[in-house]
Formats: sequence, structure tokens, C-alpha cells
Amino acid sequence: MAKRLDQNLGSRRLLLLGIVAAGVLALVQLGITPGEMIPSDASGAGVGKFFLAALTPATGADTLLIAARAALTTLRFAALATAISVVGGFVLGFLGSTAWWPPGARRNPLRLGALVATRALITFMRSVHELLWAVLFLTAIGFSATAGVIAIAIPFIGTFAKIFSEMIDEAPRAAADALGASGASPLRVYLFGLLPLALPDILAYILYRFECALRASAVIGFFGIPTLGQYIKLAFEDLNYPVVWTYLYMLIAMVIIFDLWSGSARRRIAH
Amino acid sequence: MGESASHFRLDAASVSFGKVDALDRVSISIDPGERVAIVGPSGGGKTTLLRLLNGIVRPSAGSVTALGEALGSLPAERLREVRSRIGFIHQHLALVPNLRVVQNVISGKLGRRGLLRSMRDFLFPGSADLEQIHAILERVGIAEKLYERTDRLSGGQQQRVAIARALFQEPLALLADEPVSSVDPARARDTVSLLTELSEEDGLTLCMSLHNIELASEFFPRIVGLRAGRVLFDSSPASLEPSAMRELFDLSPGEALKA
Repeated sequence: MAKRLDQNLGSRRLLLLGIVAAGVLALVQLGITPGEMIPSDASGAGVGKFFLAALTPATGADTLLIAARAALTTLRFAALATAISVVGGFVLGFLGSTAWWPPGARRNPLRLGALVATRALITFMRSVHELLWAVLFLTAIGFSATAGVIAIAIPFIGTFAKIFSEMIDEAPRAAADALGASGASPLRVYLFGLLPLALPDILAYILYRFECALRASAVIGFFGIPTLGQYIKLAFEDLNYPVVWTYLYMLIAMVIIFDLWSGSARRRIAH
Repeated sequence: MGESASHFRLDAASVSFGKVDALDRVSISIDPGERVAIVGPSGGGKTTLLRLLNGIVRPSAGSVTALGEALGSLPAERLREVRSRIGFIHQHLALVPNLRVVQNVISGKLGRRGLLRSMRDFLFPGSADLEQIHAILERVGIAEKLYERTDRLSGGQQQRVAIARALFQEPLALLADEPVSSVDPARARDTVSLLTELSEEDGLTLCMSLHNIELASEFFPRIVGLRAGRVLFDSSPASLEPSAMRELFDLSPGEALKA
């Protein structure tokens, strides 16, 4: 037993060393030197001006009104994208989990094939970042509000599906088996024997991801939908840093307010 | 009717998990309304036998008939129909802890109701169902817990919920796997007594696995002794030989090897 512990410790140390080594190697490969990280005088002045503006954000009624409106739009896009992603995540998460399978289903090549295909699709959806999807939509079909929502929804569906299916597969199986033993079909076993057990965790995770959706929705504004990102981009182009900061503060405030609310909501769900 | 008149019938049924024989050519027949206790040491095959009776486990040899259907070759749909008429009370209760009592009980009918109906049952149970569930909870002695979250109940009360779920199935037979192992010894007698009473009142076939042979003798007119996957005896408690009992629980390693 003691020997195995030692070995575990050894492999952990090795992993840590590996990570550090990979980091150093990456620095060397990219040709980054410590000197480069210090900005030149000219760009340094720009950076200084930008951060100084943080102390004096624009507080004009116009700016505040635009910020409020943009925040509301950001919230709407995030909510719509999250809602679509939750539905898609449930469907793919169901197909990507095996806990509800009747006994013996693992030997069925059709089922296994469908499972592998679903998991591959899930992995594909979430390995491409929402910004990359946005770029793809922009170049392929032009950008629209719908494209913005879909760009966020695709990787979010993938992430939800992966997490939901894992939570379902890790839920205690006893109740599900009991329902199966009383004649419930696999779908009903899933809905009433497994999902209720995983639901508190799933809800907490949805709340957490909504926060990510808020940020994504704001950033997607850079591609031309009227969320906070679009106004930040415009103000940036005008070098109007105080206005940039007003929008940034608006975004931060949104995230903080949501975090406070969702934190208490998550605690209520857990109990 | 002859054979099909029995509720459960095993004909030389064997179950093996890999190289281990959990059951070895077991033959028994249980009539409708009969009450049978399966006794024997743990690992003797009691749970496997019960799981064989409702098709959770399939025989590797021999045949199993439940409620007139041969389970070995039954398509999934028909197997679910048979199961929906057999209440199974699991050793570890197998309830969903974070649901209300009423939701756990109503899920007893999942095998016989459509998907949409089941969803409605779960979220907005109908008044007829609520009345029926309340009546069942009254019978098992926890009527006031209808809307309580299941994990807020004591172990004994949760067991009553598991029994109520099986009863709400409106079963023809009840299978109970060591129902006394999840409650304290003082409650064990109550549980066995409750299950035999309920089965008697509703005319249900009852088949219960028990470690405790005294309880079995007190409440069951028929006792099947199971050891190392084989039936050692199958008789009424009155005609049970003391030597047979000794053999059942004899722990000598030589004996275990021979079996």
C-alpha cells in the first residue's frame, strides 16, 4: 500500500514537472523574452491612458442609456442562447449517456455506433470556440442576430451534452434499476429514476454556464450585434476610453449581480 | 390449466456469473396467493432467485415462468408488462431520495402508463391517484408523509415508501429481497408482519428472502432453504427437520466446498 502511494506521488511529481517543462518550451518556441513583455514607450503611454480612464468612466445620460440598453440586449442574447443550448444539451446528453440503457444493450453494435457518433458530435461542437463559429458564420453567410445566437449555442450545446451525460451516468443507479424492474421503459427510467438525481447538479451547472453565456454574448457584439461588445468596439475605435470603461463596468456589474443571485439560487437547489 | 396456474415456476433453472454458479438447477413452483420465505446464508443465491422470478436475471439453463409467461424468450415489451404486475421491494430500497414521497410512489405505475401521462403524474398527480396513494400510505402507516421529501424520512419510513411504491403497482405478486436488512432489528418483525398482512389482505403472492429463519417460521407457511445455489429443503416450518436447519447454516469450509 505504502509503495503504491509512493508511486502515485512520483507520477504526480512527474506530471507537474512535465507541465512546467512544457511551459518553458512554449516560451522558447514562441520566442518570448521577458524584455518583450514590457511595452515600448509609445504603446506604454496608450496603455497608461487606457487604464487611467478606468478612474473616470463616462457618466453622461446618453452613454448610460446606451450601456443599459446594450446590457439588456446582451442579457437577451445570453438567455436565448442558453435556453436553446439547454434543450439541445438534454437531447444530446440523453443520447450520449448509457445509464438508462437496458441490460445487454452494450452488446448491440447499433447502439454502440450511435453512442460513438453522438459523443464525436458533442466533442466536435464544443472543441470549436464560439468566436470561431462567429467568424465562420460571418464569412460564410454574413452575420445576423440569429447567427450570433447559434454561434454561442453550438459549443454550449456540446458542453452541456457532455456534462449532462456525465452527471446522468454518475448518478446512483439503484432507483433506476428498481423502476426498470417494475416494467418502466428505458426513457422513463431516465426521466424519473436518473434525471431527478442529477437535476440539482444540472441546474447549478446551467446557472454557471449562463454567466459564461453573458460574456460570450457581450464579445459576439464585436461581430455586429448590438450587445455590449459592439459599443465597446466602437468606443475603442474612437479611442474614447472613458466610454469603453462605462460599458466594461456595465458588463462587470451584470456578471457580479448574476453571480450573487445564482450563488444563493445554487445553495437553495442543493438543499 | 395445470402448470400455468402457478404464479412462478422454475424448472431446473441455473444462473452462472462467469465461472461461479449462483443457482444450480433449482426447481420450485409458487401458487397464486402463496407465501414463501427463501432462507439461507448470504451468498447462497436468495437474491439471484428473486431476480430470476421477474426477469432481472435470465437463466443460463432451465426455464423461468412468471404469471404464465416464459421469461427466457420474452420480448422486452412483454417482459415489461409482466414486471409491471410484480412488485419488487429491494434490499436497499432504491428510492429517489430528493423526490417527494408521492412522486416515488407514483413511479410504481411507470410500467403501465404512457410517457405523457407519467410526466403529468410526476408534476401534477391526479386526484384519483392522490387518494389511492394516500390510502396506501395509510395502510403502511405513513399517511402524513405524502408530500415530504423522501430523504427527510427515517430508514423505517423510507422502507414503507418502497412498499407503497410496490403496492401502487397494483401487483399480483410481491417479491421482497431481505426487507429486514435495511431496518433495525426491532423493526424487522414489524416489516415482515406488515408485508405478510398486506399480501394476505390483497390476495398477493409473496416471496421474501430472509436471513432470519425464526421470522420465516413465524410468518410463512412454506420455507425454501437455499445454500450454495441449491435447494436444501422446501417444506412447512412444522415439518422442518432440525438437521436440515443445521446443514443450511453450517459454516464448515469442507461443507461449503462440497456444495
